[in-house]
Amino acid sequence: MPPHSDAGPVAGPPDGGWGWVVVFGAFISIGFAYAFPKGIAIFYKEIQDFFGTSYSEIAWVSSIMLATTYGAGPISSILVNRYGSRPVVILGGLLCGIGMVSAAFCTSIVQLYICVGFITGLGLALNLQPSVIIIGRYFLKRRPIANGLAMAGSPVMLCTLAPLNQFLFDNYGWRGSFLILGAILLHCCVAGALFRPISADKVSVKTQSIEEGKEVLKEEVTKDAIEMNSPTNIHMETKTEEEEERDCCEKVNKYLDFSLFKHRGFLIYLIGNVLMFLGFFAPIVFLAPYAKHIGIDEYSAAFLLSILAIVDMVARPTTGIIANSKWVRPRIQYFFSFSIAFNGTCHLLCPLASGYTGLVIYSVFFGLAFGMVCAMLFETLMDLVGASRFTSAVGLVTIAECCTILLGPPIGGTLIDTFGDYKYMFIKCGAVMVLAGTFLFIMNYYNYRMLAKEEKKRKAKEEDTKPQMAQMKFKPVLLSGQGITSTLLMLALAVKSHQIF
Amino acid sequence: MILLGPDLTTAGFNEEINLNKSKALYVEYEVLLPGESDVHVEKNIFLGSAVKIELSCRLADKHSHMKILQVTWKKGNETIKHINKTEISWGIQLTVSENRKLGSYTCTVTGEKEFSVVFHLQVPQIAGREKPVVSYKGDSAILICESRSYTPIAWTWYMTNGSEQIAINDSLMLDKYVIDKADANVTHLKILKLTEEDGGTYWCEAAFELGKSKGKLKLKILSLMVPLKPFLAIVAEVVILITLIFVFELYSKKKEKRAEDEKEFDQIEQLKSEESNGVESNSARHRKV
Repeated sequence: MPPHSDAGPVAGPPDGGWGWVVVFGAFISIGFAYAFPKGIAIFYKEIQDFFGTSYSEIAWVSSIMLATTYGAGPISSILVNRYGSRPVVILGGLLCGIGMVSAAFCTSIVQLYICVGFITGLGLALNLQPSVIIIGRYFLKRRPIANGLAMAGSPVMLCTLAPLNQFLFDNYGWRGSFLILGAILLHCCVAGALFRPISADKVSVKTQSIEEGKEVLKEEVTKDAIEMNSPTNIHMETKTEEEEERDCCEKVNKYLDFSLFKHRGFLIYLIGNVLMFLGFFAPIVFLAPYAKHIGIDEYSAAFLLSILAIVDMVARPTTGIIANSKWVRPRIQYFFSFSIAFNGTCHLLCPLASGYTGLVIYSVFFGLAFGMVCAMLFETLMDLVGASRFTSAVGLVTIAECCTILLGPPIGGTLIDTFGDYKYMFIKCGAVMVLAGTFLFIMNYYNYRMLAKEEKKRKAKEEDTKPQMAQMKFKPVLLSGQGITSTLLMLALAVKSHQIF
Repeated sequence: MILLGPDLTTAGFNEEINLNKSKALYVEYEVLLPGESDVHVEKNIFLGSAVKIELSCRLADKHSHMKILQVTWKKGNETIKHINKTEISWGIQLTVSENRKLGSYTCTVTGEKEFSVVFHLQVPQIAGREKPVVSYKGDSAILICESRSYTPIAWTWYMTNGSEQIAINDSLMLDKYVIDKADANVTHLKILKLTEEDGGTYWCEAAFELGKSKGKLKLKILSLMVPLKPFLAIVAEVVILITLIFVFELYSKKKEKRAEDEKEFDQIEQLKSEESNGVESNSARHRKV
């Protein structure tokens, strides 16, 4: 990809150009991953009647799908670390397609659990993580916008899938619909084809050697010069011995970076998010039943969810733009904690909402808060951990979140059944999220301070080592003793050798 | 216990319906008369079993001053003589114990204006399904009818053959039809080994104490080719898109490589010319010294 002349950083991701096409692909991929499990709920009544099962047995299909999508995160991360995003997403799309097509021919509920729940869920997991990862590779300066836009895929897909599924169901029954949905899910493969591989090192070296100053070129040249000179060869040999010792740990970490568990920012994010997900999805699941409980008719109750989805759709890219502004970007963790706490406050105030108007207002604010949190969900992790380690981080985070995501709605349901009142469920969700938001706020304040301290230390160290580096630069030039001619020839060689890679 | 229904406003009048259930098997229905004379009020009342019922029509407060010339209760064309009269309401009492007693009862109040209310007494309606149930050849289909609020005595299924309705006897054709009677409020008809002839209209009939009521369901049988066509079309579209994307990528890579080769060539030329200049200046300097 030719370097963008107006793009920001010299060494780093393109932040534009083909990146926007990748965002579109991620939009589709993420949209399917989040919206599909909710979208197929339309078929449940019919399938329930067909197989003669109870509602809870059917609901297991969604739970298994969700559990697999989140639980297979580490597998996704390992595969992306090894093969890159593109092949994994294409494989994911194929798995989804195969899963749904085989589901169309199922003759028992257990077979449905496997085909729809497990296989399709695995396919969606192989779609979700790589899409988020590749955004981190293509964007740095405009990453929050890119993330916000890509995550907007979820509500848009949900709004598209709901009427589409109804249409398919009316015309083809559930078996025909599953068959056609299998074909529709193959569009994830198309999204995957758009994910052109990009290596961060390749881009940076290219821009440096072709566009930037000669100091950097001199560094490259000096590297080659050092390698060519025999006295330094012995030095290289001892280096390789040390490397072998660390090889074993590094090998494991190359596939899935477990050293992240020593990373302070990662741990803060993990604990805060795991806590948050306990109260994240339950209100959406119970919003329509709650509306019906207080006497609102079915269509108006469904309309509340539509309001939520529409506000969500708008909120996600908007949050991305806000998060990208120069005031918020350095303090994005605070913005994230604030939006979680805001979400929690909405839930706490919901029992006070009376009548349909009150619930509409609640839905609007809930949609806004939900969109804000989702837009920044992966952006904040990237911000804490960095693009290179993000691959493993996202896998480890999703498998940890998997448990609380699955526990959230059933706990809410138990509270509703025990007390016969929905308000305790809202209070529980609100309290958990406010707690999570406050925790993240305080811990990130601490983290920012520690990072600032470490930055100071590192700068002081650099100051000390600078004079040494200057000596090193001129030494090999004198050693080789061949003059400017050979330096320039080596320059040409360096440029050419890096291009071969 | 008096239940007041929601305020219904249609074409500018208010109707308030009071339902009083003081004892089991005794119900009262009362309709408040509206303000527009040319609007006809109708009320549907569903009776699951035999009841004693009192129907009355009452004038709204704002019309209480109106002079009443005549109040008549009719069933069809037959006038009912025993009317329970109070200051502002006129009612009749009925013992509905058989199908004959069901029907439409009209209350007409004639004064300055004429108001009328019609009470339709009927057996509970069974809701079928407006949208057809779609199933495939060789597969099985389940048709469900339910009556939650009123429990029927028995259920019967009918299939339409041409213009006739044929009752489905599951004991005769065990491998084709299975009727599930586990719950009295719900009936399942499972049809196995579907063929094209099984498609069409089905009726589920619920027998109540006072009569029978039917629900309509439609069954549509498709062959597997029907969803296969859009499936193959979408798969073909996906393959074409992926091919296009990869071809575009190869093409743009080739273009890029060519552009870079040209650039590199220019750069090397530039360096060579610089180098020759530099050597010259060096030698010049040497000579100078």
